[in-house]
Amino acid sequence: MTDPRELDPRFIPQQRLVGRLTALAFTGPSLIVLLIVLAAADDLPGWGRVALGVLWLALIAALVWHAERWPAKAYAHTRYALDADGLVIQRGVYWRSVIYVPRSRVQHTDVSQGPLERHYGLGTLVVYTAGTNHARVSLPGLAHEVAMALRDDLRLGRHDDVV
Amino acid sequence: MTSSEQRLHPASILFDTARYARLFLWPALLAFFGAGRRRDPEFGPFDPGDFEVWLWILVLPSVALSVARYLSFRLRYEPNELIIRSGILFRNERHLPYARIQNLDAVQNVFHRALGVVDVRVETGGGTEPEARMSVLPIAALGEMRARVFAGRAVPPEGRDDAMARRDDAMERRDFSPGEPPETDRPTRPEAAPTPTGAHEPETPPSPTGAHRLETPPTPPDAHRPEAGPVPLLHLPLRELLLCGFLENKGVVLVGAAYGALWESGAMNRVWSWLFAGTIDARGLIREVLAFVVGSGPLPTGRLVLLLGGIAGFLVLVRLISMVWAFVRLYDFRLTRRGQDLRITYGLFTRVTATIPVGRIQTLTVHQGWLHRRFRRASIRVETAGGKAGAAVRDREWVAPLIREEHVPALVSAIVPGVAMEAVPWQPVHPRAFRRAVKRSLAAVSLASAVVLLALGPRALVIVLPLVGWTIVSTHQQVKRLRWSATDDVVAFRSGWLRRSETLVRVNRIQAVSVYATPLDRRARMARVRVDTAGAGELSHRVDIPYLAADLARDVADRLAGLAARTAFRW
Repeated sequence: MTDPRELDPRFIPQQRLVGRLTALAFTGPSLIVLLIVLAAADDLPGWGRVALGVLWLALIAALVWHAERWPAKAYAHTRYALDADGLVIQRGVYWRSVIYVPRSRVQHTDVSQGPLERHYGLGTLVVYTAGTNHARVSLPGLAHEVAMALRDDLRLGRHDDVV
Repeated sequence: MTSSEQRLHPASILFDTARYARLFLWPALLAFFGAGRRRDPEFGPFDPGDFEVWLWILVLPSVALSVARYLSFRLRYEPNELIIRSGILFRNERHLPYARIQNLDAVQNVFHRALGVVDVRVETGGGTEPEARMSVLPIAALGEMRARVFAGRAVPPEGRDDAMARRDDAMERRDFSPGEPPETDRPTRPEAAPTPTGAHEPETPPSPTGAHRLETPPTPPDAHRPEAGPVPLLHLPLRELLLCGFLENKGVVLVGAAYGALWESGAMNRVWSWLFAGTIDARGLIREVLAFVVGSGPLPTGRLVLLLGGIAGFLVLVRLISMVWAFVRLYDFRLTRRGQDLRITYGLFTRVTATIPVGRIQTLTVHQGWLHRRFRRASIRVETAGGKAGAAVRDREWVAPLIREEHVPALVSAIVPGVAMEAVPWQPVHPRAFRRAVKRSLAAVSLASAVVLLALGPRALVIVLPLVGWTIVSTHQQVKRLRWSATDDVVAFRSGWLRRSETLVRVNRIQAVSVYATPLDRRARMARVRVDTAGAGELSHRVDIPYLAADLARDVADRLAGLAARTAFRW
């Protein structure tokens, strides 16, 4: 991989926000389920109730911890490069992967932006190939302008004449 | 010639809402009929009037979504690509190069015609769904799109696969029903249903020539000039057909299906009691054998022999059924090459003709089971993919259900020009691969063993020890036989111990390359390389090379991706 680049640092706070929202979305419904279970299980002894509550709290705490810590880890282990041959994406904290998408195999491209991404000025580049496992390769966490620049660089025509 | 942005036709809102409305048809009907009985006091709290409320809750968002989609959708023509912007909250900008567009489908039903609009779908052949759907555009816009897409398309470079030209007739499969004349000169058979008994009829095919012919073309087919006549590549005479059935053992599937049917209908119990008439209680027998193994009883020899005989008889029966299956299904199997097309014909009652343009072949796999090797035979299968009008077509075909080992290289180079199997420089995987692999296998086995030991006590060692031994042996054999190769033309992977598979992919068919390393891999400084192709099946053998040195894996992937980048992929 020539000249590997990092993602935009704004990806970390954005992912933290996503994680917090996910944790929040999980907390409400799971709390309701917990309360229903506690109310329905009449014969559950006191320690059982406490254990369930502690379990739930631990789960939420783990989610929040994950939301806070994971984005920086994932960010540190992600690199990408676009050279004459194509796009290379390296990622994974424990389970590592490197994906090579040759330029001449790019069928079409998307640059997308969700509301949170827009707030942080980020965008996601999605590259489509005719393959099976990697029919859709997405690279989130780019600055929106960078995503568009990469897309323009990948554009067919400039390198397509090599047969 | 960047054009200004275009929108959908305002009628889009109507058609979009109508599409959603179809989902709500049943609730709507409920509401309609419910409303008629509104005054029925028995409904109580489930007042049918509520349905209308629900209906509005469902319909209003869909109308809002349709309006939002209409307002946000923008279409723009660049010199080389079509650009589609959509979404308000989640915005997306898609660039579709004209050169990649395979199909421009336009659908027009009665309502479309009445409003002078058309539903347009653009496909690039990548996925299973259209890459862009424009519902709906004014008719004039379709004409403009056609003109732009085909004018903006670069002149096809020389050497572009013929597949492009034969996009429409590719992979056409015709199943001849018994009444229709089959394609070959064989007389039509009047039978209606392919019953296994048909195989035992006196009317048998021409006596087997004995020779399993492989007719290699005298000269390698010219890639640029379609040849006049068909070149026969493979024909299966009767003997080979029966051998194929024997080796493939499809009977297991049939017997399994029959067993399942009997089980479902509850007839199985009666069959068992009829079969054994109470003389053999299977569970009792197993208990007695186990008792003998732990040394607390005599071996029930007589009944054991009877049972083993029964099992053997069953296996023979299954193989026989399998041979009948092969005879019916693959009767008169012929593989021929006409110019750039492979043609396969087979079948006794249902005559199947499949045409495979050579350019559509993505991967080629040679399979060899344990029994295959005893008979020095193999089977070859190809995976194809290509954009047929409407959807990406992916398929697997046996180009050779059975072939002599020594004929494999010739057939492979006839099917995939420029690939010489015997010249593939095979390489083993990492020297420490076995140590790395056996840890994982043993971890899985010891987990299962621990459960068994806990449940059955130390006696279970009788089961556990052979299991562990088998795991070690089979892992060792499998790792020992792993082979891979990556030349400038082809990447190949061989795996398997009892059943061996070997897959070849030409570099111009590579779609993406990836390197994976699990935590265990990283401790051993290893990685695996996967090659992604179009149309790869979930269960098919693929180029997925494990236990390579991490640096080597990166180098190989880098080189393969580079080679792929310098070739053009055309459907």
